[in-house]
Amino acid sequence: MPVLNFTVNGVPRTVHLEEGRVMLSSVLRDSLGLTGTKVGCGTGQCGSCTVVLNGRAVTSCTTPAEKCEGADVLTIEALAEGGVLHPIQQAFVDAGAIQCGFCTPGLIMRLYALLTVNPDATDDILAEEINKHLCRCTGYEAILAAARLARERMKK
Amino acid sequence: MTLQHVGKSVPRVDAVKKATGEACFVADITLPRMLRAKVVRAGIPHGKILSIDTSAAEAMPGVKKVVTGQGCSMLFGTCLWDQPPLAVDKVRHAGEAVAVVLAETENQAEAAAKAVKAEYEKLPFVLDPVEAAAPGAPLIHEKNGSYRRVEYSVHPVPGTNIFHHYKLRKGESEKGFADADVTVEGEFEFPISSQAPIEPHGAICRFSADGSMEIWASNQAPFVLRDVLADMFTIPASKVRVHIPYLGGGFGGKSDVSIEPLVAYAASFVPGYAVKLVLTRKEVFTSALVGRGMKGRMKIGAKKDGTFTALKAEMYFADGAYGDTGWPVDTVAGHNCTGPYEFPHVTVDVYGTYTNSPIVGAYRGYGHPEGQLMSSRLIDRLARKLGMTPGEIMRKNFLSEGRQNALGQVIKKSHGDLPGCLAAVEKALDETPLPKNDDRFLYGRGIASMMKSPKMAANAASTCTVQVNADGSAFVNLSGIEMGQGVQTVFAQMAAEALQIPMEKVKSYPDVDTQFSPWEWQTVASMQTYRGGRAIQDACGQIIDIARETAAKVWNCSPSLVAYRNGECVHPNTGETLSLGRLARGFMAPDGLTIGAPLGATGWYRVPGIVEPDPETGMGNAAGSWTFGSQGCTLRVDRQTGEVKILHFASAFDVGKAVNPATARGQVTGGVVQGMGAALMEKILFTDDGVAKNVNFPAYKIPRLKDAPEKQTVVLLETPNPEGPWSAKPMAEHPIVAVAPVILNALRDATGVEFTTLPVTPDTILEALGAKEAR
Repeated sequence: MPVLNFTVNGVPRTVHLEEGRVMLSSVLRDSLGLTGTKVGCGTGQCGSCTVVLNGRAVTSCTTPAEKCEGADVLTIEALAEGGVLHPIQQAFVDAGAIQCGFCTPGLIMRLYALLTVNPDATDDILAEEINKHLCRCTGYEAILAAARLARERMKK
Repeated sequence: MTLQHVGKSVPRVDAVKKATGEACFVADITLPRMLRAKVVRAGIPHGKILSIDTSAAEAMPGVKKVVTGQGCSMLFGTCLWDQPPLAVDKVRHAGEAVAVVLAETENQAEAAAKAVKAEYEKLPFVLDPVEAAAPGAPLIHEKNGSYRRVEYSVHPVPGTNIFHHYKLRKGESEKGFADADVTVEGEFEFPISSQAPIEPHGAICRFSADGSMEIWASNQAPFVLRDVLADMFTIPASKVRVHIPYLGGGFGGKSDVSIEPLVAYAASFVPGYAVKLVLTRKEVFTSALVGRGMKGRMKIGAKKDGTFTALKAEMYFADGAYGDTGWPVDTVAGHNCTGPYEFPHVTVDVYGTYTNSPIVGAYRGYGHPEGQLMSSRLIDRLARKLGMTPGEIMRKNFLSEGRQNALGQVIKKSHGDLPGCLAAVEKALDETPLPKNDDRFLYGRGIASMMKSPKMAANAASTCTVQVNADGSAFVNLSGIEMGQGVQTVFAQMAAEALQIPMEKVKSYPDVDTQFSPWEWQTVASMQTYRGGRAIQDACGQIIDIARETAAKVWNCSPSLVAYRNGECVHPNTGETLSLGRLARGFMAPDGLTIGAPLGATGWYRVPGIVEPDPETGMGNAAGSWTFGSQGCTLRVDRQTGEVKILHFASAFDVGKAVNPATARGQVTGGVVQGMGAALMEKILFTDDGVAKNVNFPAYKIPRLKDAPEKQTVVLLETPNPEGPWSAKPMAEHPIVAVAPVILNALRDATGVEFTTLPVTPDTILEALGAKEAR
């Protein structure tokens, strides 16, 4: 059985991979119990499974697990360590950007990857990143507002 | 008393858990001794099953069991029992289940599913509902007409594919058309679409050796599901326990039942094991529930001054392989196709047909968008024919106090202010002048008004239990499913308001468990704030009565003299108080002697007087409440690419009272974008072989941020409604109802082309513009 060694939310992990096609999303959810990462389409189109891999936002449902050897992965569970919400999470709450909540963790992780590197991301860049995600509930208005609010708060 | 909680945009109570990933959805649940299921699908739209060979699959690693429909005599349903949990002797659509593989891991189940070999004798198939209803069409159900059904409501035509014919006869439409100075008519199509919640459907089921069963499901209707499973397996409902975690969107596609009977049937072969199935996105399109699927024609007659004289409509629904979830959609489409207008004479025929396509069920506002697409487009056309504005025609015919709708119900003032909604939309759009057409862009504006009734079972009700704790905090439990619409938040707001205590002291848990949660019909038809709110008022009122009775005993006075305010009973003379917490377990004297009942109560509400429509006329008090609204937009068409950009979309609904204005706005902005998808993008396509083909994102395109309107205006009117809790009315599905006709009316304004078939894609527009120039 192949073995994957990588770091998840700052903790070194060793996971035995099942034979066949195993994606990062399944390792996170099924092997490590990190179910905050959601799977909505299995083809990288909806963005719900987005995590941060070596500093970049990736769709974990299309990222083969074996490609993650030695990688550093951050999931939604890492953001509110100690029970205090990250400013992006708090912005989603405050801006009313959450309805069913299934797309929320993926959106937050993509914005995390963006705003921690580029705190001055323009509205166009924010829109470009949010456009990689599908949300069927909100009509996106409040999600864009949350991203702007998060950008503003993270600068302080 | 001024309201403390109702009417305030308080933050959602579920937002933090959803922002941290803590919120639990069905796919997140793992049970001990759990098998994973993978389903083998038919792959052909219609055929006799000759053989299914499971031997190779059964021998594969990790496989515990392969279940087929062989020997299964079960049919499940709620009003029409026509569906087996998986195909028995024939397959009726390409996404139908023919076998389920149960294995230790998902990969093992998937590998083994590929090894199941099924052989079929192909049968002719039919996808189009008009063709399906015609004589000589391939017969999909030989037993149509003889299935068990609720005979008052479901009207099949034996020997055909028509499993439900709803007819509405108000007045004499021939006479109405004879009185008309002008008529308009057209043919329309609202294609099969996916509700496309981002969370795929899932279920986990476990049978116990003691004869009981439990199921965890992404489902809007736990008590319907419980009763369907109890009926299917002939076990008492008390031995079926349904758990519902958070839902990642529903939009009707998770109401009634969909995949659960299949999972339960498979699990029944492996008692003691839990069986988990989470659909792939492809299966959400092919094998859960889809929506719409209407082809229709409508004719409207009017006097020269715009007054309507008659309406006649025919609608055919491609309801798919089975009809139990489709027939109510058909009936409602008939009820509501007039839109919010008075027609003295109405003739409507709606045919629910079996077709070899995925099963149609509820989809946000079901029946309403389909029927009102036709009336709202025709009103736009009539206005031009009469040289009036669409707004003038609407105002002339709006349902208003004392007027009668197509069901024969007399409209009350509390049903809402349509002229007010229309004026609000016109005002919002008029704030920006319509740009002039130029070399690159065409601009247009469209408008439509809508109504929506909550179609429900006549006995539909909500119950609510409230329990006060010794610290004065309270549990408020209902079985309204939290699927994004924000019921948990408005429940807490309303309970805090009724008990006059801070919201932090109220907890309404989202997890529904049919063993403990109070009975509820189901979370559909936008009824939780309205009907659930009344149940909360009832339960909280009882709590206050019990508290006052106990306080009166303590103070040795009449309960009627005890006042209640801010969570406390107040002594009539001394002003002394007893808090809810102090009375929670009865009042305990210093020596321990305790008097009075504990503070717990069950409240309920049923919309009174609802009946099923009369089988002959289709009329009657079949809808308990109405919400009215208007919507309009300004859009831009790119002449080169055919792409449409909505510059401004304005909506106004008379919601009676916006219990939480922020979440209400969220329902509108989301509904508008979902409706925009239907108008411009979404349609399930089929290959020539009858197999759905665009069954994943992005082949099936739903709106992204960049597709959304540049600006949305949302106006919420609040006409007092004594039937609603604090005046509130249903409003969650409503924002989708008029969106497609608004956009198509605006496209007509921009391009001069009468679009009647959804979706209007860039290619459709380019083709139409090209044809126009060629003329």
